[in-house]
Amino acid sequence: MDLQNMNPSSLKSRFATRFLRALTKINAQKPISSSSSREIFQRYRRIKVAADKSMAYSVRSRRSWSRATLWRLRTRSPRSRLATLARRSSVKTRTTRAASHGATVVDRKSHGKENKEDGGVEAEELRELVPGGEAMDLCNLLDETAHYIKCLTTQVQVMRTIANLYSLH
Amino acid sequence: MASENDDMGLEMSSITILNKYSNTSESDPFFSSGWDPIVSQSESLGGSSIASHYHLVMENQGISGTSHVSQYQSNPSFVELVPKLTGFDGGNLSQIPGPFSLPQCNQIANSNERGSKNSLRSLDEHRISETLVGTSPNGKIRKRSPESDSPFRSCKNGNEEPGMDLSSEGCDGLREQAGKKPKTEQNLSANSRGKQAAKQDKDSSQSGEAPKENYIHVRARRGQATNSHSLAERLRREKISERMRLLQELVPGCNKITGKAVMLDEIINYVQSLQQQVEFLSMKLATVNPELNLDLDRILSKDILHPQSAAVLGFGPGTNPSHTFSPSTFTGTISGFPNTNPGFPPLPQTVLENEVQNLFQMGFYPGSTMDGFGLDGIH
Repeated sequence: MDLQNMNPSSLKSRFATRFLRALTKINAQKPISSSSSREIFQRYRRIKVAADKSMAYSVRSRRSWSRATLWRLRTRSPRSRLATLARRSSVKTRTTRAASHGATVVDRKSHGKENKEDGGVEAEELRELVPGGEAMDLCNLLDETAHYIKCLTTQVQVMRTIANLYSLH
Repeated sequence: MASENDDMGLEMSSITILNKYSNTSESDPFFSSGWDPIVSQSESLGGSSIASHYHLVMENQGISGTSHVSQYQSNPSFVELVPKLTGFDGGNLSQIPGPFSLPQCNQIANSNERGSKNSLRSLDEHRISETLVGTSPNGKIRKRSPESDSPFRSCKNGNEEPGMDLSSEGCDGLREQAGKKPKTEQNLSANSRGKQAAKQDKDSSQSGEAPKENYIHVRARRGQATNSHSLAERLRREKISERMRLLQELVPGCNKITGKAVMLDEIINYVQSLQQQVEFLSMKLATVNPELNLDLDRILSKDILHPQSAAVLGFGPGTNPSHTFSPSTFTGTISGFPNTNPGFPPLPQTVLENEVQNLFQMGFYPGSTMDGFGLDGIH
């Protein structure tokens, strides 16, 4: 773990620097102490997007899930009209997902694609969790999941440390 | 002919010939509609010369058929059936019915020798580019995984595997009469050769024998069916189990779990919990007020990457019984988030030093905390 910390180009450091930059930018916009709950919520959304984006950028396009996340982030936002048009015309299945890759608890039995027997019901659920996972077979899905888990843990670590530092100062 | 057919029958019991070319147009004249052109050709040829050794060539993922074809040319006495795999979509490849294929194997061979070589060759090349072994549909066609292909080997001539018993036995007729043709991959049925069965284990231990080509050569294990389907299925299953093992190491607390469904459940729970943590932390960051503004970037990045130095920042040891910022609360606060939220901004700088240490440790060694969190969240 220490070696990873020392490595300047490790995933952790890349993500940390990117996320910090985004975070300071967000914090510079408004003073936090005088924010209403609505503003706090907006800031929360922005921070979450920044976290996901920084992580996806740190991974570049080497992984399918990062590409999917970046694509989703790009098409989601202010140009909603263009985004919906792009979604409709796009063939990708992941565009139909309106929800973010956050933890929406999905009814497991609602996707019983047993005809394919590609891991069954659980694999379908995993596909929904991992961004870009709908178009993958089980083998690659597991691959992507492994890398995704690794990146998520890094993300959680860095964010937790930042939160601790913020709150302790 | 009858004896030859019987011989074939014996050896064909465990062999399935797949000849479904659904993609290429070149294949259509050759394999279309039930072997009709083959039948007509063979009848015109008048009898077949089938060797007693019935060699089944099973091409897995694009084994080059050119060598086979050239073998056909120089070795008319050998019948080589070329079942091909269309792809591994779920493993439900259609099978050519047995009886239908039997009497026409020789015809196939003969016809292989004659006219349709070109089509076969181009077909094989096309097949090479098309068949996938459980790989992703996003274009990764030639996937070599020699580490997982322990039973895989290729029966190559001469130069590559000098110590191959299989070549001495099974490939004998083929090899010697066909001359030394490089790059001949064969997948002989284990059941059909009693002699070779004993050597199967030894041969199956030779792994990763596809250094030059980018496809996987599959060898049937002893006592296992040599269906192209089952081989493909086995390949796929092995890959999947290998990846599940990797995931088992990533997800904490999954060492005892055996079984794909349960493991997948655990993985799903873990990913969900991680995503929830990210959301929770981002909410926390949204509410926390960073009072330290000077050179935040540098300090924070330094602290994140070097946790030990951060502890020296000089937090006075003091007690603050009002704040609930304890490790247990921190780890298990998904449900208790609204409770702890108002506690963050007014935190003074008096924090227990051991708590600081705990927090930094938690931040970088989340193993224990993750277990706690995971357990709280799941069980």
